[in-house]
Amino acid sequence: MTTIKVDCVGETCPVPLVETRKAIRKASSGDIIEVTGTHPASKKEIPMAVEAQGHEVLEIKEEGDTWKIVIKIR
Amino acid sequence: MDLVYLDNAAATRMDEKVAQAMNPYFFDVYAVATSEFGYSLGIEAKEALDAARESIASVLNGAGEELVFTSGSTESSNLAVKGCAQALKRKKKGNHIIVSGIEDFPVLNSARTLEKQGFEVTYLAVDETGLVGSEALEDAFTDETILVSIQHANQEIGTVQDIKEIGKMCKEHDVIFHTDATHTFTRVPLDVSVIPVDLVTLSCHTLHGPKGIGALYIRKETPLDKIMDGGFQEFDVRAGLENIPGAVGFARAVELVTPQENERLKRMRDTLIDRLLAEVPDTLLNGHRHKRTPQNANVTFHYVEGESITLHLDMRGFAVSTGSACFSRSLEASHVIMGIGGDHERAHGSVRFTCGRYNTGKDVGAVVEAVSDVVQSLRKISPLGKGG
Repeated sequence: MTTIKVDCVGETCPVPLVETRKAIRKASSGDIIEVTGTHPASKKEIPMAVEAQGHEVLEIKEEGDTWKIVIKIR
Repeated sequence: MDLVYLDNAAATRMDEKVAQAMNPYFFDVYAVATSEFGYSLGIEAKEALDAARESIASVLNGAGEELVFTSGSTESSNLAVKGCAQALKRKKKGNHIIVSGIEDFPVLNSARTLEKQGFEVTYLAVDETGLVGSEALEDAFTDETILVSIQHANQEIGTVQDIKEIGKMCKEHDVIFHTDATHTFTRVPLDVSVIPVDLVTLSCHTLHGPKGIGALYIRKETPLDKIMDGGFQEFDVRAGLENIPGAVGFARAVELVTPQENERLKRMRDTLIDRLLAEVPDTLLNGHRHKRTPQNANVTFHYVEGESITLHLDMRGFAVSTGSACFSRSLEASHVIMGIGGDHERAHGSVRFTCGRYNTGKDVGAVVEAVSDVVQSLRKISPLGKGG
């Protein structure tokens, strides 16, 4: 199991989702992807998109303006 | 996850029959046509090239010697617009060109380049469906007009122009008429013995043919300067070694299109348009409802961005595009949607679905359901209003 970190701090929509999609393509079953960002809309649409693909959103953490979404690849 | 590919205006899956037709010209008859004077393999290559030329030209009701192979639509339109404008300016016929404001980039940017070189260019406005008005065109002609370039159908919204009427007007003004038929060739009839058009851009990348090959129909006696220096290939109009496999593949791709296929595409298009407009609230069809290519449906989904829709659809296994293919890496507003009177929101919310040979009614049903769900979910988080 590998943890892949995706840093999208300061990036706006659609970049965080594009980068998350790239990471998912590289990941294997059981891998963890941690996406960090600041764009509010991306925080909502990334979980929506990855769950539609059947992956699991383990956690959404927030610290100030920064959020972190932790995804487990199915 | 199986891919449902609905971006057939950008590129198509090549038909195996096309690949089979091309194959011998990679491995057996690999000479170029210019070698016909030297050895037999060259003669075979030249025969294949000429047969492909005749076959493609016959679909337009033109002659083989009126068709020049190029590397694709971009080169064909560059050759048509720049080559013709330069030849006519050299002959001191005038320096004014008319293009529609919603042309694809090869024509639009060729016109912009010519403008920098001192040509006068009129960018014609279109109506809300994308059609060029005959009055607007008539008003645009001046004594200096030498060339009109108006596409047969639009790359994004699929609107099909009345090129017969436009051609007649050009003839009345003794002006050369070029049309970009990239998105209509074999899909919408174009007979050069009936339609007074002098130059026609053609390609097969939307017809399940290979990429990297295109053609320009050039009516006999049409003034045209070469735009690329080199050898004397293609009747001394287009320099460069001939792409024999490409030309053979192009001809085979054209042969494989049938009227039945076009009818099937139309049915899928109509179902797509009718269901999207009926089942997804706050939607708007872009382009003309009936005067459109058989394969194109383009819909704006208000309060959401087309970029987001395409990304979410991709993650569910659907390939569609927002605006023209060129926009997928930019958030520039589509000049086509803006040209038909749309605002930035309408342009950004537009999604193009283009069907092809390998799509089925099941694909259409599946994409409608996916779009409906994605749009509904995105609207709940949309910063553009109309939330949840």
